[in-house]
Amino acid sequence: MKGVRFEMNGAAITVETLIAHGVTDVFGYPGGTVLNLYDELYGNSDRITHRLSCHEQGAAHAADAYARVTGRVGVVIATSGPGATNLVTGIATAYLDSTPMIAITGNVPTTLMGKDAFQEVDTTGITMPITKHNFLVKDVDQLEETLCEAFRIARSGRPGPVLVDIPKDVQVNEADFRGGQPLPDIPTPTANQQCLEEAAALINASERPYIYAGGGVVISGAEDLLRQFAESLDAPVGLSMMGLTAFDSEHPLYLGMTGMHGLPESSKMHAEADLIIGIGVRFSDRATGDTKRYRANTKILHIDIDDVEVDKNVASTASVLGDLKEILSSLIGMLDQRERPEWKGRAKKVRDEWGRAVMDYKAQDEHSFTPRRIIKTVRAHATDEMVVVTDVGQHQMWVAQHYGFKVPRTLATSGGLGTMGFGMGGAVGACVAKGGARTLLFTGDGSFHMNMAEFATAVRYGLPIIVIVIDNSVLGMVRQWQTLFFGERYSQTTLERPTDYVKLAEALGGSGYMVSDLAGLEKALNGAFASDIPTIIDCKIDSDEMVFPMIPAGGSFEDMIVERN
Amino acid sequence: MISTDTIQHFTISIIVVNRAGALSRITGLFSKRGYNIDTLTVGPMAERPGYSRLILASSGDEATKAQIIKQLRKLVDVAEAKTI
Ligand SMILES: Cc1ncc(C[n+]2csc(CCOP(=O)(O)OP(=O)(O)O)c2C)c(N)n1
Ligand SMILES: [Mg+2]
Repeated sequence: MKGVRFEMNGAAITVETLIAHGVTDVFGYPGGTVLNLYDELYGNSDRITHRLSCHEQGAAHAADAYARVTGRVGVVIATSGPGATNLVTGIATAYLDSTPMIAITGNVPTTLMGKDAFQEVDTTGITMPITKHNFLVKDVDQLEETLCEAFRIARSGRPGPVLVDIPKDVQVNEADFRGGQPLPDIPTPTANQQCLEEAAALINASERPYIYAGGGVVISGAEDLLRQFAESLDAPVGLSMMGLTAFDSEHPLYLGMTGMHGLPESSKMHAEADLIIGIGVRFSDRATGDTKRYRANTKILHIDIDDVEVDKNVASTASVLGDLKEILSSLIGMLDQRERPEWKGRAKKVRDEWGRAVMDYKAQDEHSFTPRRIIKTVRAHATDEMVVVTDVGQHQMWVAQHYGFKVPRTLATSGGLGTMGFGMGGAVGACVAKGGARTLLFTGDGSFHMNMAEFATAVRYGLPIIVIVIDNSVLGMVRQWQTLFFGERYSQTTLERPTDYVKLAEALGGSGYMVSDLAGLEKALNGAFASDIPTIIDCKIDSDEMVFPMIPAGGSFEDMIVERN
Repeated sequence: MISTDTIQHFTISIIVVNRAGALSRITGLFSKRGYNIDTLTVGPMAERPGYSRLILASSGDEATKAQIIKQLRKLVDVAEAKTI
């Protein structure tokens, strides 16, 4: 079934509309209520490539990561009932991190809906609070426009996942097809001139401005303008975790990630600023800590596309709403060019006192097999453009702190939802998005066990993913809280699993290494980078490694913990 | 956000597209974000076919009130939301 036809069944309308939207790759898993859709994919495999995951959650994370690294809408397909419920974590992950994604689910025929038919669940009901919007299409005549609308909603403004639930009879019934052409984006209102002037006045009056930038900068592709903005202000920049890759980590104005596990100099300058310029951020509790103290001695300028974020978590002094690129380029023209040697000198002093002390902590680190060394060693083998995916836990924070990102959209990590199990599916999606280019996954032994089946997906599709397991034999991040706040009572965080990652990799058709020192890691990396088959490198580290610094939940800079006492 | 402002009672008028699920999206928003619904009435709009008007009484401080309106306007099915 090629090209535009007059009458088509719903399944064909769906596939043609995807293709008309430039979709070349989809992820998913078949089943009873999507048989028609899969039959249509079968006939169009030369125009759209479907990749089968091992679990729908993996497919959802793949579509999500695909979107994160390309900025294009990711697409996932699942059957009704358990297929749809298996997507839930993946959709919520995309929702919290504002990823443009379309989830297409089948459902029981409209005639059976509401009767607890086989594999029937209220998919739109379940996903309502975790989607930007969702649709149940009950009439094939509405299918094409609904799908076009779904794409437009997913990608416009602040992006997000949109679910389209298509009952089986709607896939079978026929309707006119009008070509499935994309609708124009929902326009973003232009920034208000008075708000811009207020913002510029605040900035020009500030002695100690601190730029706190986040995922919005990456989403809107405003990295260049952010750099120009920071340079013309001569102001230090800290990033939220979602903001990583929005600013070159080697730029002299860059202080590092800020927040709960942010770098000390970044968090300290954040706390000492007289003006915090939040750009594409939502002042999440992980970034601000106690909002009262956060807000106490500073002014806040909030720049974002989503007006609900303004004054939601932290009351702002002024705000500008709109497209970040447009706002930043307007603001740059309104700034008094100035240098701030004193404030920057302060940054340097803080870094020398705190930063070096904490982040280059432990001289033995140079020689022992610490997470930081592992990450730096892997980094030395990687190119700046290589995509890095992580799971969730200590390993994620170590990557965020130490990897040193330079190119936008080279990191896919679950920030808002903190989804363990994101990594392996995410790595598949990221690798596919990059046309099968080398992709790195940093995972934990806990996270990897959640969705490691997707390693088989990577093998099946010949994706050259290197999986670095930061293997501390524990649910490290939870254990860290138990160490610090629960008197070392390690309830259910010790993983007494005899998993042999080398055999596991081999059993699934990949290859594996087990290493416990830097020399071993070097050798393994040389082997892994020389090969194109998916590879696991199991890095055995100490169970007591911790992520420092740490500002405890609800705390502020003064509460920062820099070492285990 | 947390505010020491006093709690006020206010009424919101919402115009919503007549689509399956539109009402539960609105009530879902209130429960998800912990906003109060004191009373709620819904009816089709004679002057605007295909749309319904909701009159919703709620309470909260000034910041909550502002958030409720913004969150409502963000819903795809909501054509208009304002306090009356
Ligand atoms: C799906 C899910 N379940 C539970 C958690 C809570 N949690 C956060 S980090 C963590 C431990 C992660 O362990 P591992 O993957 O081994 O990483 P490590 O912290 O040891 O580096 C847990 C259980 C979570 N984030 N996600
Ligand atoms: Mg672990």
